[in-house]
Amino acid sequence: MRVSLISALAGFVLALVPVTGETPVLAGDTPAPKDAYLYIGWPNDGEIVRKRRFRVWFGLRNFGIAPSGIKKKNTGHHHLIVDAPLPPLDEEIPADKNHLHFGAGQSEAFVELSPGKHTLQLIMGDHDHVPHNPPIISKKITITVR
Amino acid sequence: MIKSALCAALAVVLGAGVAYAGNTPAPKNSKVYIIWPKNGQVIHGGKFWLRMGNRGAGMAPAGIKKANTGHHHLIIDAPLPPFDEEIPADKNHLHFGGGQTEVRIELPPGKHTLQLLMGDHDHVPHNPPLFSRRITVTVPK
Repeated sequence: MRVSLISALAGFVLALVPVTGETPVLAGDTPAPKDAYLYIGWPNDGEIVRKRRFRVWFGLRNFGIAPSGIKKKNTGHHHLIVDAPLPPLDEEIPADKNHLHFGAGQSEAFVELSPGKHTLQLIMGDHDHVPHNPPIISKKITITVR
Repeated sequence: MIKSALCAALAVVLGAGVAYAGNTPAPKNSKVYIIWPKNGQVIHGGKFWLRMGNRGAGMAPAGIKKANTGHHHLIIDAPLPPFDEEIPADKNHLHFGGGQTEVRIELPPGKHTLQLLMGDHDHVPHNPPLFSRRITVTVPK
């Protein structure tokens, strides 16, 4: 039942494409290798953090860092999403208190959060702060600040 | 403090104008360190991801001249190279000119030393040079 529903849905989506005449945009224009791997090195998922101000390590494999504005193959810069869902993947990542930009090329940063539960997630942005294609996204983790 | 006093003493001893570092000023209050492995770590199999840590400075690929940035170099089983010239590129001096912050390393059995040194856009250390503590790891036979 479920399978047929999914295939029906897929069929519907496929049917839509020729009608609209374009492929749906799901990512930016800057290519990224499929094996690029982004993760939060610390804190761990479920960590109880005993300080309100703490350091977050940005883990990145098979990809490099470049400051914002620098266009170079297989590079980008980190963005930390705090207590928010992923932004649209085909436009500039917002810059506000829920979307922290590290356009100077940082690989770790201090974050200050109020006591309670918080979610953290990393996403790479290209020279223009737009996610890559495919987008490079870490697992979203939940931490508790004491 | 001790390091800067030592550098100053060296400069006096060797005479003014002697270059003991490159021309690119180092970002203030920055620190380079090896996040993993830890000093004294025993690594079975000798294959691991080395995590490069940097506080207070940013990464930039080689060739990109931007204030307060540089790129990592990993020195394996070798002393620090001269600070006033390009860091060598060989099996003991790995360059991460792509702005990488992690690398997959494979080491043969035995004791090995690992140390990080930042290089500027031209692969020359900053002034003052930014290097990590040298750590020792062991790969069992």
